Amino acid sequence: MGVRDALAHLAGGAVAPVFAVAGGGAREAVAELALSPSVELVDSPAAASVLLVAGFLPSDLHTPLAALHDAMPDPRCTVSWPLGSDHGSMPLSSSRLRIGPDDEPVQAVTRAYRALLSGVVATEPPIQPDVDPNPWRGVGPYGQGGRGMTGGTPYGRPMAELGPDRDGLRLDVLPLSIGPFFPRFPAGLILDVVMAGDLVIEGRVADSPFGGGEWRPPVGPFVRALSEPVPVAEIELARARQHLRWASDALITQGLPAFAMRVRRLAVTLTPGHASSVRALSRRLRLLRVPQWSGAGVGRIAPELLTGLALGPVSRAAGLGEDARAADPAYAELGFEPIVARDGDAAARWDVRLAEAAQSLELAARARGQRTGGVGIVEGPRGRLGPDDSPFQRLQSLLPDLLAGLEWGDAVTALASLDLDPEEAGTVAARPSRAEAA
Amino acid sequence: MDYASPPIALIAVGLAMAAGVYLIAVLDRSIAVLVGAGRWTWRGAIVGPIRSAALLLVQRRRTTERPDSPGWTLAPALLTGLAAVALAMVPIGPDMAAADPSTGFVVFSAAIVFVMIAVFLHGWSPNSALAMHGAYRFGAQALSFQIPFLLAMLATALPAESLSIVDIVDAQEPLWNVVRQPLGLPLYLVVGVAVSFWGPLNLPDASDLAGGTSVEDSGVARLLWKSARAAMLVAVAAMGAAGFLGGWWGPWLPGPVWMVIKAVALLTLLLVAGHLLPRVRIQRFVVIAWVILIPLALVNIFVSGALLL
Amino acid sequence: MSGGLLVDVIFWLFAAGALVTGYRVFRTDSMVRAAFYLLASFAAVGGILVLLGAEFVGMVLILMMAGEMLIMAIVMVMYMMNPAGLNPMWMVHQHRVAVAAGVLAFAVLAAPVLLVDFPDRPNPAPEEATAQLGEELLGDSMLVFQTAGVGLLSTMIGVVVLASRRGRYGEADEGSSEPSLELQDAESR
Repeated sequence: MGVRDALAHLAGGAVAPVFAVAGGGAREAVAELALSPSVELVDSPAAASVLLVAGFLPSDLHTPLAALHDAMPDPRCTVSWPLGSDHGSMPLSSSRLRIGPDDEPVQAVTRAYRALLSGVVATEPPIQPDVDPNPWRGVGPYGQGGRGMTGGTPYGRPMAELGPDRDGLRLDVLPLSIGPFFPRFPAGLILDVVMAGDLVIEGRVADSPFGGGEWRPPVGPFVRALSEPVPVAEIELARARQHLRWASDALITQGLPAFAMRVRRLAVTLTPGHASSVRALSRRLRLLRVPQWSGAGVGRIAPELLTGLALGPVSRAAGLGEDARAADPAYAELGFEPIVARDGDAAARWDVRLAEAAQSLELAARARGQRTGGVGIVEGPRGRLGPDDSPFQRLQSLLPDLLAGLEWGDAVTALASLDLDPEEAGTVAARPSRAEAA
Repeated sequence: MDYASPPIALIAVGLAMAAGVYLIAVLDRSIAVLVGAGRWTWRGAIVGPIRSAALLLVQRRRTTERPDSPGWTLAPALLTGLAAVALAMVPIGPDMAAADPSTGFVVFSAAIVFVMIAVFLHGWSPNSALAMHGAYRFGAQALSFQIPFLLAMLATALPAESLSIVDIVDAQEPLWNVVRQPLGLPLYLVVGVAVSFWGPLNLPDASDLAGGTSVEDSGVARLLWKSARAAMLVAVAAMGAAGFLGGWWGPWLPGPVWMVIKAVALLTLLLVAGHLLPRVRIQRFVVIAWVILIPLALVNIFVSGALLL
Repeated sequence: MSGGLLVDVIFWLFAAGALVTGYRVFRTDSMVRAAFYLLASFAAVGGILVLLGAEFVGMVLILMMAGEMLIMAIVMVMYMMNPAGLNPMWMVHQHRVAVAAGVLAFAVLAAPVLLVDFPDRPNPAPEEATAQLGEELLGDSMLVFQTAGVGLLSTMIGVVVLASRRGRYGEADEGSSEPSLELQDAESR
């Protein structure tokens, strides 16, 4: 056994570094996978050995996924986890490494990882051809000339161009496209930015790739509530879970991955009796300065721009008490009052979401079989949901003004605080509403 | 005072760095498991880091489009070398130091300041936007913490009337610097976290840049960079123990044991802070460094100087 | 500082390193590499200073040059269209004149070193470097250092004021209009 084999044997027992792509319907499952001590979700494909493709991925995202796959170092393998879609439609699906409905996901992933390292499963070859996408076509003895100063687009990447800057000094700007698998954004979110140094000069979020109609999404309680009555306890528990899942992702964005696991464990085992735990968590996060240091004054949207958009916690954090639950008699029975904050920045959104999670758990505990829904709109965790009407679509138009002039870290914090969910746009697009059918 | 001969000094510093890096790996994993309410296992904590290192040695390095290959290879080697130089300046016992130049403080500071070159190279070389961004952030961070760092450490040289680290530790025999210069240790810890870009000040390798300067690292390069960062943290903690916590002075136990205990205590404090405090915004850190930390460091020096006169 | 063969070998290594990296500053296309080659050259000179017994000066040289070269690298990236040399471009101007000037300057500086008969008065190695430094800074050279310090401080304050947004006539981006840079028309020079 050579040195390399000995090392591979030793490495077989290590924590498996997995780059997880959580497509449609897979976010909760992948989040739960991260809790296992034998799996580590990494931020960059360069650190990963296993690419986990979970849920549904629209065909637009198949080419970026192939690029992501090729960015992983050898040895690498792909594990596909359809979760409701069929195996055949999944990109990069191999017959050996898949997680079926009866398989335990953590064990399947660690089994694949160990097989990869012991050589049972061979490392996967690159999918895209290793060809220069934009070969150099210079003119002249030193390659200079051609069109403009730079003679075209060298090596496929645009050269920085001049652009106006805020204080009168023209600086180079760099157009970048971040996504669709940036680990801090949900899968499918593509952010096109123009950056000058560390400032975002222009920012734009592309339309949701999930709305194309290819997807048959699983029906969660919020989408079900669009067309039929759903128990309040169920919907409020789901809301609290979503808010805690958001908090866990936001904590990773703020550089606290270990604490995020604690929050995620709470989210996975959440019951209506955990309201006090959630309030304690909110106090502890305030004590550790998490909302203040990252979000105080960051990502503020003026209430005038948000009126009428019903963006859930984002609107309520800016002082607008828009909540579809306030008009619902079932909630009025339970004594529901919308939680409103004043500042409208990322820190306020932290407070509002955690307070709403605690409030939802208390409502779920108090509920005695009340039912809500069936009226064609429902208050989702991110705002008002309607047929073909999701908070993501309404929020998109506000983003360019929000992102202009923000430093990159603040831009990521602001986007994280908005809880963008392109997947939700796909779930409501596919559903006909009861009002439509009536 | 005896110098160790160069080969012995090299081996000693190398062993200390290796032990420190392993200790950080074990402690960091354990603290992460505890903070995350997971299950701590002996195997996971003790053997886990070795297995992960083996995996990184097995992974092949991947490259990017037109990287600056010599720079990319140089960066972790440079950071390791700087950590070794910084650690070599820390004396373990009254007659035990890898090197004790009469201006040991300046050598340590030069090693600390040079870290920004290593991090900038590490971010510039892969020719990747996110890595480059991390390098620029560290440029701002490093230029901001330099002056508070020099001033905070300079205050420890005042009671010793010497720039030699051994003299600085010797001067703490009656009273540790953490007691007679209360501002010194907190300032030093903040700047120490900034220079080793750990935890709340991990701006160049931040999670909002998907790993920042290490986003394109794989295989051996990733292992070397992580080890180099950990070695730098060890050096910072060791110097903090020597400069502020009285070094080898302490009852009952021999000097070197006290030194190790104090360094490990500071290390644990920094690691716990890394897992509990969120990342600071770069704009806020720059403002704090220039507007708050420099005046505090100056106040520290004035007060210490006044007390000595 | 005596030390025999090892010291001589280290000296020649540093000297060769300083020359080679100094030459590479001008032969490389990448501006960041140019800045860091210059840094390496200065660091080698700092090492030679330590060998000469001037530890403080040598280490301070390395310390200061690190910060300065980083700033220079960033400024070069800021000003150059092709800072990494990714795009083949002729990076130097008037290179024949520059080469001639460089060779001439080297000859002028090297001639005294080679031709002058330096006196042979070895200095004792400084024991109490800190004490001697302190006595020099606050004794004979106090005027020099105090005026230099105040001058540097006022320069820094002046630079910050100039770079800040507010000028004598209000905010920098109100009223004043920068000259337009019609680079779309300019072709390769």
